[in-house]
Amino acid sequence: MTIGIPRALVYWKRPHFWETFFEELGFKVLLSPSTNKEIVEMGVKVADPETCFSNKVYFGHLIWLDYSPPAVPKCDFIFVPRLKATEEKLEYCPKFFGLPDLGKILVKTPILTENFDERKEKFEKTLKRLGGKLNKNRGEIKKAQELAFLKEKEFKKKEKQEFSLKIQSKKPKIVLISHPYNLYDDYVNLRMKEKLEKLGAQPIFIDEVPIKTQTSSLKYRASTYGSEGKEGDKVLFAPQKLGWPKFHWEFGEEIMERIKEVLKHDITGVIEISSFGCGCDAVIKEFVEKTFKQNKIPFLYLMIDEQAGEAGIQTRLEAFLDTLS
Amino acid sequence: MEKPIITFARWGNYTIAFKTIFEQLGLEVIPPEKTTSQAIAEGAKLSPEMYCFPMKVTLGNYLPALKKGANTIFMVQNVGGSCRQRYYGAIQEKVLKEAGHDIAFLDFRATPKDIYSTIKKISGASLLQILKAGRFFFKKLHLIEKIEKLAQFYRPREIEKGITDKILQESFLKLDELKTEKDFQKLKKEILKRFSGIKIEEGKDLPKVALVGEIYTVCDPTINFEVERKLGLEGIEVYRQMDITYHLKKLIFPWKDWIIQRKINPYLKSTVGGHGRDAIYEMLHYIEEDFDGIIHLLPFQCMPEITVRPILEKIHRESRIPFLSISLDEQTAEAGIDTRLEAFMDVVRGYRQNKKIIKN
Repeated sequence: MTIGIPRALVYWKRPHFWETFFEELGFKVLLSPSTNKEIVEMGVKVADPETCFSNKVYFGHLIWLDYSPPAVPKCDFIFVPRLKATEEKLEYCPKFFGLPDLGKILVKTPILTENFDERKEKFEKTLKRLGGKLNKNRGEIKKAQELAFLKEKEFKKKEKQEFSLKIQSKKPKIVLISHPYNLYDDYVNLRMKEKLEKLGAQPIFIDEVPIKTQTSSLKYRASTYGSEGKEGDKVLFAPQKLGWPKFHWEFGEEIMERIKEVLKHDITGVIEISSFGCGCDAVIKEFVEKTFKQNKIPFLYLMIDEQAGEAGIQTRLEAFLDTLS
Repeated sequence: MEKPIITFARWGNYTIAFKTIFEQLGLEVIPPEKTTSQAIAEGAKLSPEMYCFPMKVTLGNYLPALKKGANTIFMVQNVGGSCRQRYYGAIQEKVLKEAGHDIAFLDFRATPKDIYSTIKKISGASLLQILKAGRFFFKKLHLIEKIEKLAQFYRPREIEKGITDKILQESFLKLDELKTEKDFQKLKKEILKRFSGIKIEEGKDLPKVALVGEIYTVCDPTINFEVERKLGLEGIEVYRQMDITYHLKKLIFPWKDWIIQRKINPYLKSTVGGHGRDAIYEMLHYIEEDFDGIIHLLPFQCMPEITVRPILEKIHRESRIPFLSISLDEQTAEAGIDTRLEAFMDVVRGYRQNKKIIKN
């Protein structure tokens, strides 16, 4: 049996994890190729015109994994997880909630999905249910999930080592702030990393910035200020003290935490990339920009969409780097 | 701190009721200005480009009030659940302060406790006084919602064109001026009597159209270019379920959500924030009720509504009911909306004719 995984959006929240998990369970995994022009065009054609660019790209990947009737199906299932909340009781983007249902409208291949709501249920338990859907027993699932976690950890460790190298670099250090699905998808972000390197800068992804004891600090904040809004939380006037409101979005909290960390190092400039139509970025950008302005670090805000031209981005990057020196 | 002069987020005709709360507590209040194209433009100038439309509008509504001397703004957060509405207050405070306005911003959550403590803090009123003001607020609110519904009924049936809107506007003015609770019953009777005095064509066969979508745009006639009135005057009966009472009922009785979820399960198996699920539920409900058209209103790029729109379109394809989705933002022009509404009305009438032919 083959399971298709679209290499976009929610995949980048846990890269390497899903394919390892399913492979260890004994399935063939078909990962859609890196985003290219055709995939984006397919996505733009089927998606709602007002939805965000990242969603359109995701639908493109879904269509790529699907088949048109006379052809043979490429895979038996397409895996579209419904990510709802993290362990720290922080929510994912509301657009993720509806992905499996919207996918069902678009493709003929059956969709394999499961609710990942860690407010109600541990991640491992959800995995067990997911494995159960595929007729696997507990032992097999446990083994597969452990291996998948291990692989994930390995990559994180490598990232951490790379970060300490990058941060010591003598070149101008540019921090790229965005969601993982924009940072790691080279087509979507118009090869920003490559372009910056060619211009003689050292790009650093915000995702690579390690945060100490990631869960505990987030947990602390979530329980102090309340992401779900429990009675008795000191919420009324808390936002002013923090400089930004307590976000109930997982990436909002994470990005702000990482920014706090990266400010301790000596960085030259910051570029924030957001996909056109991203509702969450409209909120977060305001506070990201404010934080860097307060610290007197140059800040560039770039928006990407299906029409973003490479030449335009190149000019703006060059101009931005010129202002740094 | 100097004496607080309050202004708050405007919300259609319900603004009248909100104003009452502050007045009853003896606070000085300057109500936010009516939404005009200028207010929208001013608000959009200050706000982040990508932010959703209601935030820009409410911001634009504050500005004239601030010029008149208001120094305290009331904004409720977390009305919608997972969506951006939660951060309206934070963003508005930030941009207003950056624009040089010296204001106190009261950003509170929509729980009874938070509302009580915020009002208490600003007014120093006793619990009894606040409860009394609350009671008056609900009385006014119910009457506003009731006469809005009455107007939806009378508008397409009236013989003298425009009389319903005249009575509706005059009633709003009178309600706005009413300061004492004990005269409320008298005014209510008077208003309802005027409505029942409207002469109507009996037994008129009218097409029915429902409004679904994001609560703010659906309820506020000044931002949705008076869709309700335009359709009504053309002889189409408009229904809408979405109003503040509906929203509050959902907060108080959580099983409503459960009923909604059960009905929409074949289409969407999760909440998507805001009133996303409600739009699907309502559409399915209206199809069962034999409606002749659905209009979906949303602010441009509203996250929950955008997520459910493909599903609404799917229901539209399956059931063949006429469906029109209008997204509103600061660049929407009235002429464009009019053209689309006119075309939609033709489709609705044709759909009704066809249905009749098939039935016979």
